[in-house]
Amino acid sequence: MEDKEERIETPLVAIVIDATPAKKFASQAIIDNGSTMMNRIFDALIGFGNAHLMQGSHNKLAVIACNSKSTKFLYPSENGDSKSYHNRPGQYDMFAKVDSDIRHGLSELILKDSIDHDSTTSDSLLGGAMARALCHIHKIQRELSLSHQLKPRILVVSGSSDSALQYMTFMNVFFTAQKENVVIDCCMMDSDSGLLQQGCDITGGQYLRIPTVVGLLEYLLWVFLPGPSCRSKIVLPPPTKVDYRAACFCHHKLVDIGWVCSVCLSIFCKFSIICTTCNTEFKLNRPAIVPSKPKKRPRME
Amino acid sequence: MADEEETNEYRWESGYEKTWEAIKEDDDGLLESNVAEIVARAKRKRAALKATGAIQLGMMRHLFVVIDASECMFLQDLKPTRFLCVLKLLELFVHEFFDLNPISQLGILTTKVKRSEQVSALAGNQKKHIEALQQMKDTSCEGEPSLQNSLERAMNGLKNMPAHSSREVLVLFGSLTTCDPGDIQKTIKSLKENNIRVSIIGLAAEVRICREIAKRTGGTYNVLLDDHHLKELILNQVQPPAVAGSMEASLVKMGFPGGKPGSSDGASDSAADHAPAYCLCHIENETSCLMGNNSGYNCPQCGSRYCELPVECKQCGLTLVSAPHLARSYHHLFPIKPFIERTEVPEMTHCFACAKPFGELDPNVYECENCNQIVCLDCDLFIRETLHTCPGCASDPITAQMKTN
Repeated sequence: MEDKEERIETPLVAIVIDATPAKKFASQAIIDNGSTMMNRIFDALIGFGNAHLMQGSHNKLAVIACNSKSTKFLYPSENGDSKSYHNRPGQYDMFAKVDSDIRHGLSELILKDSIDHDSTTSDSLLGGAMARALCHIHKIQRELSLSHQLKPRILVVSGSSDSALQYMTFMNVFFTAQKENVVIDCCMMDSDSGLLQQGCDITGGQYLRIPTVVGLLEYLLWVFLPGPSCRSKIVLPPPTKVDYRAACFCHHKLVDIGWVCSVCLSIFCKFSIICTTCNTEFKLNRPAIVPSKPKKRPRME
Repeated sequence: MADEEETNEYRWESGYEKTWEAIKEDDDGLLESNVAEIVARAKRKRAALKATGAIQLGMMRHLFVVIDASECMFLQDLKPTRFLCVLKLLELFVHEFFDLNPISQLGILTTKVKRSEQVSALAGNQKKHIEALQQMKDTSCEGEPSLQNSLERAMNGLKNMPAHSSREVLVLFGSLTTCDPGDIQKTIKSLKENNIRVSIIGLAAEVRICREIAKRTGGTYNVLLDDHHLKELILNQVQPPAVAGSMEASLVKMGFPGGKPGSSDGASDSAADHAPAYCLCHIENETSCLMGNNSGYNCPQCGSRYCELPVECKQCGLTLVSAPHLARSYHHLFPIKPFIERTEVPEMTHCFACAKPFGELDPNVYECENCNQIVCLDCDLFIRETLHTCPGCASDPITAQMKTN
């Protein structure tokens, strides 16, 4: 018997764009028909966003961009002021709005970045952008009526490698996404990111590192456009084996066997008397040396 | 009804509280805005209570849950019976407990017919406990409970646990009586000596011995008001408790399996690591699972294969965890400071976190001390309870770096 009260599925895709200008793309100025690589990437992303909106009338989109200085909501536009846009005759109004909002927002973001000439190259603020995406998803979930069922997912498009200092932010975002049933997909353009691989594994999303940036739109449409519910029916790139080893707090190198402080759970590669994070002294667990026993026991280390 | 602090009087000792005076109608005679305000204030108060500073928390917990399975648990004041209601809530508790305390261990005991029995041993595997709870639905509740027997059995199990772990017992007690073989004061004394904290949730009424046990061992004692309150009380136990003070800290050796196949230290990476093998967690079952080439995790010390983490290696005794398991507890160590409440700020028209325009329904906005970004009430609660990261601080290049002082 058909369930008459079927809830309308509302997929929501939040695209998080890492707009940190990569030196590699800056040098590769003009290709093909006079457009720069950055333009091609943004065109591909707008195309993907519009393709998602086209899939159903209730589908929702959100776009957030970040660089090493700040993060910004591109769509829905941040302070409610969207610039006027001209739609081509016959073009769906919403597509033109998405196009115009994203382009204006990105140009503002990039111009703001180039104005303050800060020589320190800090890492991209991807964690903050993902946190804002989660808050936005949470808001949409609250506002949606009961007849709709939200199916949120986040697509991260990035070319930056990992930032060890933002580990806490990333892990909090991943655990929150897992709790809220948000799937995190990741499309990496240039380098691999171990943290994002872990995130995709924790939330059940798709991680892909694309070999050529020129074909970005194709990869996005083929791999990331279908939602999680139909992914089981499609042959997708196989999951990568994620490196779940932890990095020690003293040298930031990955360890197989480590020593964990029982108070603050920080990881060390060597046994030491005091914990550098929480300053607790450790009780030595070694057995007392009994002088009367002559035989030597091999030390278990 | 009992109060939490012993210095307060009981409700029946103090005068009447005229609760109907809290609700007032506004000018149009509507109650809606008033109700919304009360709800918002209650939400914030609850969130503020949880916002404590960086006190030492017991992360590695060994917890025994004692379920009263005596005659009185067949009463139907909680639907369908007290026993079934408690079992259902405990399944949720087990799930949340391992979610929030991934390296902890849980055990389940029951007490009936003046004895206590062990339903599932102290283990870190979530599925086993949930299966045990589901099988318990068919057991009958009979006889009288014995508080002392169950506490003694729990104590035997917890005595041998390492000193750096937090030893706890949670008793779900529905009876008003207990039938003990000896002097329970002696049991309380030895519980205190072994640093075991006993928390009790009463399902009927307040029983004096329960309050004494909880007070002397440093736990909490609460009696439920209705089933929603019971759920809240049980889920409060999920949060790691503050350290009792005499917990020893030590460095625990742990293994982190799951490195990439082509890892840099090639010496430990042999062909045997990737060959198909039986996993050690199911080896005693008849249907042991055969792990394929790259699935499963190898213990870095002895090489035995396991299907899932966290687990204690049966062969060499090393605790195996993965980095996200430890990272789940890190947010307790770096808590966010509560946001400052302000009335509307004219220049910020939208909430920073969710891009919602501030309207009439948001009389107050909240500002973060570090990054000075403004968020709405719902985002404030979401950040505090679930996200544990301020989006404003994470979006600012100066404050985004992790502080490990």
